[in-house]
Amino acid sequence: MRRFRTCLWFCFVVLVSSSLITPASGDEIAERAKKLHFSSIVLDTHDDTTQRFFSTDFDIAKRNADGSIDIPRMREGGMNAIFFSIWIDGRIMGPPAVQKALDQIDAVHENVRRNSKDMAFCRTADDVRRAHAQGKIAALMGVEGGHMIGNDIRIVRIFSDLGVRYMTLSHFYNDEWADSSTDKPAHNGLTDYGKEIVREMNRQGIMVDISHVSDKTFYDALEISKAPLIASHSSCRALCNHVRDMSDDMIKALAAKGGVIQINYEMSFIDQPYKDASDKLSGGVVAMFDQLKKECGDNEACVGKKMAEMQKQAVAEGKLPRVSWERIIDHIDHAVKLVGADHVGLGSDFDGASMPEGMEDASKLPKITEALMRKGYSDGDIRKILGGNLLRVMEQNEKVSREMQAQ
Amino acid sequence: MKNIMSIAMMRAAVCVLGGFAVATSLAGDSISEKAVSEKATKLHFSSIIVDTHDDTTQLLLDPKFDMGVRQSSGSIDIPRMREGGLGAIFLSIWIPSKVTGPNAVQKALDQIDAVREQVRRHPKDLMLATSADQVRQAHKDGKIAALMGVEGGHMIASDLGVLRTYAALGVRYMTLTHSGNDEWADSSTDKAVHNGLTDFGKDVVREMNRLGVIVDISHVSDKTFYDALEVSKAPLFASHSSCRAICDAPRNMTDQMMKDLAAKGGIVQINYHVGFLSQEFRNAEKADPKINEAIAQEVTKRCGSDANEGCMLIEGDRVTREYVAKGVLPRVDYMKIIEHIDHAVKVAGIDHVGLGSDFDGANMPYGMEDATMLPKITEALLNKGYSEGDVKKILGENTLRLMTDVERASHELNLEK
Repeated sequence: MRRFRTCLWFCFVVLVSSSLITPASGDEIAERAKKLHFSSIVLDTHDDTTQRFFSTDFDIAKRNADGSIDIPRMREGGMNAIFFSIWIDGRIMGPPAVQKALDQIDAVHENVRRNSKDMAFCRTADDVRRAHAQGKIAALMGVEGGHMIGNDIRIVRIFSDLGVRYMTLSHFYNDEWADSSTDKPAHNGLTDYGKEIVREMNRQGIMVDISHVSDKTFYDALEISKAPLIASHSSCRALCNHVRDMSDDMIKALAAKGGVIQINYEMSFIDQPYKDASDKLSGGVVAMFDQLKKECGDNEACVGKKMAEMQKQAVAEGKLPRVSWERIIDHIDHAVKLVGADHVGLGSDFDGASMPEGMEDASKLPKITEALMRKGYSDGDIRKILGGNLLRVMEQNEKVSREMQAQ
Repeated sequence: MKNIMSIAMMRAAVCVLGGFAVATSLAGDSISEKAVSEKATKLHFSSIIVDTHDDTTQLLLDPKFDMGVRQSSGSIDIPRMREGGLGAIFLSIWIPSKVTGPNAVQKALDQIDAVREQVRRHPKDLMLATSADQVRQAHKDGKIAALMGVEGGHMIASDLGVLRTYAALGVRYMTLTHSGNDEWADSSTDKAVHNGLTDFGKDVVREMNRLGVIVDISHVSDKTFYDALEVSKAPLFASHSSCRAICDAPRNMTDQMMKDLAAKGGIVQINYHVGFLSQEFRNAEKADPKINEAIAQEVTKRCGSDANEGCMLIEGDRVTREYVAKGVLPRVDYMKIIEHIDHAVKVAGIDHVGLGSDFDGANMPYGMEDATMLPKITEALLNKGYSEGDVKKILGENTLRLMTDVERASHELNLEK
């Protein structure tokens, strides 16, 4: 009790002195940031944790020594809305791709069901807000790669019915109807069927995700889509010249149509020296994945784990530079300066990429809020970046879907 | 029914009889109104009529097919369901047994999508239902309840995740096999290889129980039936099978099987396929295998060699009727359906019999060409002395009770986990 009073008195002094006399002190900002963070909907649009559901030694309810995502660490980091990525290798196509995608969708539903005290499956922005009000983590799904529909528009509707709320038009490889940013163009962007698929996604209220796609595919999708698009996990090319990132022009065009860029924390997407060194070392992200796939076979969780280990070791040996989590803030800030606070959000790529130092897992997320506050961002703008923007885009997609279905 | 030979038979009727049916309804008097007493009509149209097996889904795969329009062939569309008082329909998700693995999964999803799209297209007439309560709600709202059953365990590709996916998409029963064995269960029309259900097959049944998906034992071997009966924690049904005592087809159930099914709260849903109803018809088919071969050839000719299943089912019925007209195959009257219902009621009890027509997937008897004819079943049962309450049970209340029991078992199993 005494300690509490002392604290109260101390806080009061700090508050008065800081607000009246000097600019806000460090501790006061930390305190305010914490409050803001833990009262906000903190939504991450890209997490590859789904792959871990297939390992018998992974339990999302328990704190894990490796990886970035589990319920205890999400709770600790105030992360209360997560898009689980449905992903399989882009070279698996046709019916096998469809079935494997169903298995992952099922794994998400099963994990949510088994942890229904902590998680609620959500299909709409309202669902997310309701989960938040009930103190639950909102679980959503995004399909990362158009190859998983088996070149069959009907599967888009099936995914939608199963609760999928975004689809990335391609992954590392071109699919049957869209070019990828990391493959040789074969379709000059979106094919006619690809355009039909975008329209069907609009009709279903599935957000069109342009991360991973070629620049031409991006512009084609932007033109066709009747609802705002997202880049679920991409950063800024102006700061790190990677094809997986977006150029300033692309970010502007995305924002002009109401979309959001969800900043990816992967080191080779946020830090130029790291990317350069990494390219030299492994021949780029696709080559690296290929190498690891040889070692891990079909176990995708193993690929992710090995990649993290490899990179950690390379950093320790000085073969790769260290990257601080603050580079994430640089990317957020760059995008905000370019298009305003309404068009930027968070798409970590946790459990699917190499995290910078200081952002190893979900428990570190409050640091983002604090850093933005220190940069002078308003509380309202910070809330938008943490999740509000994405919820707005979801709502707009829901509205377009309703209108198209009514026609 | 669906084997190339006899499946195709349903639509044949329409060439010959269809003209008659259309003519009468255009004149403003439906067949049912003409043939059925006022009492039966009143009872029929105040009851919830549930049909647990219709192959219309094959036709829905053609984007041009519109359930909202009265068709000149086949048995099922919204206008004819309305006219016949059919209030709840299980649309069958079916692909041939020989298609397995991921291909089977994607094709099944396409059919599930076709059903769901049809419901979205006709929101005033159709409602997707996944529970007994929703069926009752649809009835109250003046809509037809559309439900789904997966006809053949091969469509889960030995993957419980796929089974759960089907359940999530609204599938409410699964037939453990179709006409061929699948990876984990023996069929009644294939050589036994699993001695009934494998261990994995038993897991499938348990997971179906937990999900609230009705275990359907039509098509399965007798041993698979008894294995499933033993493992299942919820009542089972035969979604479209008739009585072996009257017509000795392996697809039908023996008296003992029906008794055992009923003892666990289950139901036999009588199939209207002439080859399952009539021993005489079956004998004629068996006596000369060339007949079915000739029918199959004619169907292939009409539908093309890469024919879709919908065409083959419809043309099969049409060609079969042509053979009946020529006197090559015996003519089977719809009263045979009543005979099977009555036999099953006597053997299994009034609470354990229902309707599983196999419309749009088999050869219908004369007088039961399509959904508009259903009031004749009500009329015939009343004439036989069945009480109104008993008739309602057969028409749909038994199936709704079973659905409720299966839902309760699912709820309890989910609480345990």
